[in-house]
Amino acid sequence: MLILPLLLAFSIFMLYPLYKVVESSFYKASFLNPTFRVYVGLENFRWLFNFKVFDPRWSYFVAALSRSLLWVGGSVGIKVVLGIAVALLLNSQFLAGRRIYRTLVIIPWAIPWAMSSMMWAWTLNSQFGLVNSILLKLHIVDKPVTFLTTAKSAFLTTMVVDAWVGLPFMIIMFLSGLQSIPDDLYEAATVDGASDWTKFVRITLPLLKPVILTTSLLSLVWTFNSFDIIWVLTRGGPIRATETLPIAIYNVAFLLTRFGGIGKASAMTMAQVALVTVISVFYIRTLRRGVEI
Amino acid sequence: MRKLLCVVTVMAVFLMGVAMAEEVLKVLMPIGGGYTIEDQEAIAREFEKDNPGVKIEMEFVGWAELWNKIITSIGAGAAPDVMYIASRWIPVLADMGAIIPLDEYITPEKRELYYDMVWDTVTYNGHVYGVVRAMSTKVFIYNKKLFEENGVKIPTTWDELLEAAKKIHNPAKGVYGIAMAGKRFVSTVTQFLQYLYANDGKIVDEEGNVVIDKPNAVRALEFYKELSNYAQPGIIEWTREDLIKLFETGKVGMYIDHVHNALKAIEKGVDVGFFLIPGGPDSVKRYSTVIVTDCIAISSQTKKKDLALKFMNYMTSFEKQAEWDLKLGFVPPMVKEKDLPEFQKWYWKPYIEAIKYGYPQSAGVKDWEGTQEVLLDAIQSVLLGQSDAKTALSQAARIIKILQK
Repeated sequence: MLILPLLLAFSIFMLYPLYKVVESSFYKASFLNPTFRVYVGLENFRWLFNFKVFDPRWSYFVAALSRSLLWVGGSVGIKVVLGIAVALLLNSQFLAGRRIYRTLVIIPWAIPWAMSSMMWAWTLNSQFGLVNSILLKLHIVDKPVTFLTTAKSAFLTTMVVDAWVGLPFMIIMFLSGLQSIPDDLYEAATVDGASDWTKFVRITLPLLKPVILTTSLLSLVWTFNSFDIIWVLTRGGPIRATETLPIAIYNVAFLLTRFGGIGKASAMTMAQVALVTVISVFYIRTLRRGVEI
Repeated sequence: MRKLLCVVTVMAVFLMGVAMAEEVLKVLMPIGGGYTIEDQEAIAREFEKDNPGVKIEMEFVGWAELWNKIITSIGAGAAPDVMYIASRWIPVLADMGAIIPLDEYITPEKRELYYDMVWDTVTYNGHVYGVVRAMSTKVFIYNKKLFEENGVKIPTTWDELLEAAKKIHNPAKGVYGIAMAGKRFVSTVTQFLQYLYANDGKIVDEEGNVVIDKPNAVRALEFYKELSNYAQPGIIEWTREDLIKLFETGKVGMYIDHVHNALKAIEKGVDVGFFLIPGGPDSVKRYSTVIVTDCIAISSQTKKKDLALKFMNYMTSFEKQAEWDLKLGFVPPMVKEKDLPEFQKWYWKPYIEAIKYGYPQSAGVKDWEGTQEVLLDAIQSVLLGQSDAKTALSQAARIIKILQK
């Protein structure tokens, strides 16, 4: 009986929207004509690979998917590597004021993503940005760097900003993982004459592996769905350099309505869900193997 | 049981009373870009005061989300009765059957209040779908001090414009000849359209043909690119809305913007002057400007059409319109507004003069949002040197032709 409200909420807020997305992906439907809905079977899924109006080489979906994979891979990679490094630093007994740093590190996570993006947009601005001001004053550059104006720099910049937003979660999770590793193991390794690097590779990493896999899986799913950061910083530009899948899905649903529409946007969403699910299953299997060992 | 019945009956009577006492009109309004919740709610409260029993329920959405809000609420069958929309969205909304034609409700007296061209911006397939609430023309705002220091005269041709930007441009000192926009946003397209229309180019001509790839359009985009050599670095990261921050520093020679932003620069101590956008080399027009309007439209889903029309007419009465334009710094869409004392001020004159050279922002374009995306690709690819203007606009024309079908 007590589980009933939970089931109800789950059905209303999770199952029904998911059902609507699955259902819409089999229909030709658009916000432009709400009364018109035609069952088209798998047509919307074929469209994902046939729609090449913007670039004859790649379909719109495949191009956005490729960008997404690269962007998510880069961002999650930065978060994992830096997350472990900062967690190790914050776990070190030689670092004074650890508690203060641990509190400070959570700040980017606490700020709404859209606000963080606005803040970064101005921080990186070529004329008024703090970053350029520092670079110029230290004579590292002789003219302002325009971070968001070329395809490559915009792609990297949005990726780094996304990593900045997601990093605190990784640090906190890795830190809690590090704190659960028994000190005796390190003491025994020290007695055996193991170097710091050996201790890290042989003790820390293997014991942290379940935390790394779980955390990076969560981060991967969130990063795949990341929208606000790119939307505020570049709106998918310049040209379409930062148009990842969530941005492309939005464009197909709302802006490129005559080409796309809600049916095709739903098909794109289904493809993204399927991809993320496959990656997640792979991760979970790896995780189980890790635990069994 | 009796007590419960009594309570239910009293509550039902009370709720019926409330429902009967108030006729609720749902109105969707934008915020941002000068629009504040307070200004708009004040109008609603005044209307309620003059119309007892009516409740205006305003919903506010940021400009960037307004389009999504409109089409999703229409799709869900929950469209607001009255919608504040950008006039460029009319063709799509009219084709959807989402907004009603207003021809029969617009009296000859109402029609005469506005410039003819204002009605062009809200007319689609021969029908009027909105009543204009806000209008803008744009002119060049220039820094008099920088012009004088560099011996620059007010440009009257594109060559002179380029020359002026060149002379002022001194990036080593952080001084830029011109400020320009290139970010993926509607105002970047409008900034390019200023040059396109000035060179007698169009996106779609009067016969409905896509002409964005014609030589005069190509020349306009080439000129936009050429001018960008004398603009602030990284114009791809700038929207027109943000350029005022740069101009206010006193280190920009000129840029195209609204009067209300010029006033901000004056407040910051910049010695500001104005000049109209000169016609291009392929045009016989001396000057040009893009006319952008926003309007009030009525949803076809409304069951309170009479009240919606009454509210629309209230908001767009001469007094309310003048009050609104003066408060927010918009160019008057009504002919007689220009005679009001406030509009005689020196900084208003170029904007009002520009009206006669104006051309509607989205003339002939059936799907603005799609077209905007395509044009942004073209503009950005040329600014980044990834494509030449001819190739970029040929690609744009190919896609816009599909969108126009």
